[in-house]
Amino acid sequence: MSRKEPQNWPGISRRSFIQKSSLVLTGLAVTGVPEISWAVHGDTLHVRNYQDLTSLDSVSSLSAAEGIISAAINQNLLRFKPDGTWDTQLDAAESFEQIDETHYAFRLKKGQLFSNGYGEMTADDVKFSFERMVDPAMNALNRPDMGPLSHVDVHDRYSGTFVLDTPYAAFIPVAVAGPSGEILSRKAVTAVGGRFTTEPPCSSGPYLFKSWQAQRKTVLVRNPQWTGRKPDFEEIHVYAMPDPKTAEMAFEAGELDCAWISVETVEPFKQNMPDNSSIRVLPSGRNYWLGMNQENPALTDIRVRQAIQYAVDVEAVVEAAWFGLAKVSNGPIPEGMVGHRDSALIPPKGDPEKARQLLSEAGVELPLRLRMDVNSDSLELTAVQVMEWSLRKVGIEVDIRPQDNSTFLTIGREDLGDQWRDVQLFMQSFTGLADPYYSLTWFTSAQLGIWNWERFSSEEFDRLSDQALATTDPAARSRMYRRMQDLMEESGCYRFITNSVMPQIYRNTIKPAFRADGYTMLREIRRPGSGS
Amino acid sequence: MLRFIVRRGLLSLLILFLAVSLMFGMIHMVPGDPATVMLGPKATPEMKAEFSRRLGLDQPLAVQLGRFYAGLARGDLGEDPFTNREVTVIVWEQLPYTLVLVLVAIGGASLLGIPLGCFSAIRRNSLLDRLTAVMSVAFIAIPSFVVALYLLLWLAVKWRWFPAMGAGESGNLADQAHHLVLPAIALGLGWVGYIARMVRASMLEVMEENHIRTARAFGLPERTVIVHYALRIAMLPTVTILGMGIGTMLSGALFAEIVFSRPGIGKLLYEAVLTRNYPIVMGSVLVTTGFFVLSTLASDIINAMLDPRLRERQGSGE
Repeated sequence: MSRKEPQNWPGISRRSFIQKSSLVLTGLAVTGVPEISWAVHGDTLHVRNYQDLTSLDSVSSLSAAEGIISAAINQNLLRFKPDGTWDTQLDAAESFEQIDETHYAFRLKKGQLFSNGYGEMTADDVKFSFERMVDPAMNALNRPDMGPLSHVDVHDRYSGTFVLDTPYAAFIPVAVAGPSGEILSRKAVTAVGGRFTTEPPCSSGPYLFKSWQAQRKTVLVRNPQWTGRKPDFEEIHVYAMPDPKTAEMAFEAGELDCAWISVETVEPFKQNMPDNSSIRVLPSGRNYWLGMNQENPALTDIRVRQAIQYAVDVEAVVEAAWFGLAKVSNGPIPEGMVGHRDSALIPPKGDPEKARQLLSEAGVELPLRLRMDVNSDSLELTAVQVMEWSLRKVGIEVDIRPQDNSTFLTIGREDLGDQWRDVQLFMQSFTGLADPYYSLTWFTSAQLGIWNWERFSSEEFDRLSDQALATTDPAARSRMYRRMQDLMEESGCYRFITNSVMPQIYRNTIKPAFRADGYTMLREIRRPGSGS
Repeated sequence: MLRFIVRRGLLSLLILFLAVSLMFGMIHMVPGDPATVMLGPKATPEMKAEFSRRLGLDQPLAVQLGRFYAGLARGDLGEDPFTNREVTVIVWEQLPYTLVLVLVAIGGASLLGIPLGCFSAIRRNSLLDRLTAVMSVAFIAIPSFVVALYLLLWLAVKWRWFPAMGAGESGNLADQAHHLVLPAIALGLGWVGYIARMVRASMLEVMEENHIRTARAFGLPERTVIVHYALRIAMLPTVTILGMGIGTMLSGALFAEIVFSRPGIGKLLYEAVLTRNYPIVMGSVLVTTGFFVLSTLASDIINAMLDPRLRERQGSGE
């Protein structure tokens, strides 16, 4: 029996199929397939957020990812200006003034309504919002932002006074204008049990919270009751996109209007900029440094630590890891903030000769072998590789130990065991706030074994830290903070790297607005030509 | 058949128990402090201690595991310490996205791979067979994330035929289907080659068997012989592989969910591991392992239905 060949489909021979499909494909190639545009537009703004929400409640919100959204749906008494500085302007307050070092008076604008029928914003809502932050029963994560706030006295429906136990220089930028100072409705928050996470019971800002879909997006809509300048967009969609590469692709595909991108893609984007788009490389509030655990036996001799300081070529590190976009840092306090130093004690390029000399004086047998812990992030890994190269030139060999963020965050912790004793070198970074105190508070003796992994301890530093926080004179504060950074550097425990940058790409169909630390200010984003 | 299903079901439960217990131990042994990651730098040591107590992390591992199973027996997987939402709700919210992606990917791969494998076997050594062989190996060899990136670059970024991110608007099926195309191709393409090779090899073996020769001798149409007699038997190993494939894809969907910024169980699990969010990790692991076991069980049952010999062997306890 011969094998029967499969039958053709009725009316379609192989030859005719090939002929017809070729014709169709050629036709498509010639005429072009209609392009489907996914881009933004209309009345909706599409923005990337670098992570998903966990809480929009000021007592428990943890990151700027939440602050970006809550600042658009809530009001503070004062808010930051959208001019890239930490200067403030009136928001919900009609007036705000400092009476003396521990008293601040405010008066609310009339007729500001909370959504969902929770009525007009009153001084009692301000009292509620601030006092719940310092209420021990609330166990607020952001309690430190309030400093020595005692209570709020309410005088009438719209006015009141903040009473502090002691002077607190960061009160306005951190407590009043920061995310912790957002004014919530007493009635609304009480109605949901006193706290909330991803579903705020009401809003009072230019935009209202509409919905949150886990791992997807948060949708804000224009607040029809808003009495201020009408927001330019009917809706804002904020996408949770932890991976910057995905965001970059989505921007190129036209699906985002504004996105924080990675430093390594700035130049390629500039070379081949998507249509009608721009890039702005903004300063970031993130401070990077090389830390040294001075209690580790290999690093107890200050000359060894200083040799490492002098060996590291910070310019090369910044050039390689930040593609030359960031500036070399002179300390944790960034440019434009009280206490910023114009220069570091050790030159950015370092001094390998001096490093060798210090090692020789310390009687170190070369090669000196050290470990360096680092977060397994591509930027930080590049940075430590350049440091390794710098250190090798003076006879120090480094074993780089990349670790995932959660593990890395515990290496210097005393309460989790003795692993902190093995820590030698590490690259670390912290994000600052709108006041210099926050950039330096992690290095006090009280932070030993918590966040102070260098085990740096200085009575003068601790004293100045307290004094500077209680001093409201900017010039005096500046002197103190500069001295504190000198002390850090003199200890040999730190080699400051950079305050980093935050590149943002956006369509020219919007007029973006960014904070001084590079984060997007959603409520301030406008259309070109719509006024400021 | 019932006895076969019961036996397989019990074995599946045992596998599930062992896998989840193992995962529980492993994730808790990885260094890292959930309190530090979740509460941020401003948290006081007291807050961290309270947090650990609330999660039960201050208890020995065996006690924690016991509590996990006790909760599971009540249908309670605990709360996400970040958002205070129930883990079951969070996991069930994300699961449909991954399930649909996996089913579409494996379904599409089967729809392409099975006919390709069949044709290759029927037209052995023909141009089509050789072409299929080359393409299959290429599909298997190219890593899925590379496929995903090129699909994004060409079909989403350059031509804008498909969206680059997300899962589409809730309630809009057409939009969701449109958002599914690229991730499903990226996830399923390698399986096209795999299934085609598998079906081809099985078909070639089956086509040489006596019952096929007998069917032809009876003068049955070739299509009937191939579809009803040969393919049915040749599908047995493929069904087993598909069952495993669904399970593997459930965890492999992670790259597609990250590259295409899609919600899903893979992404949920990945982020939970990074932040040491143990309740979410365990909820996600339980569900993915459960589906893995379930899909393997389903493939065993389908195999038994397709092959009476297997059914009889299992039924007699061999």
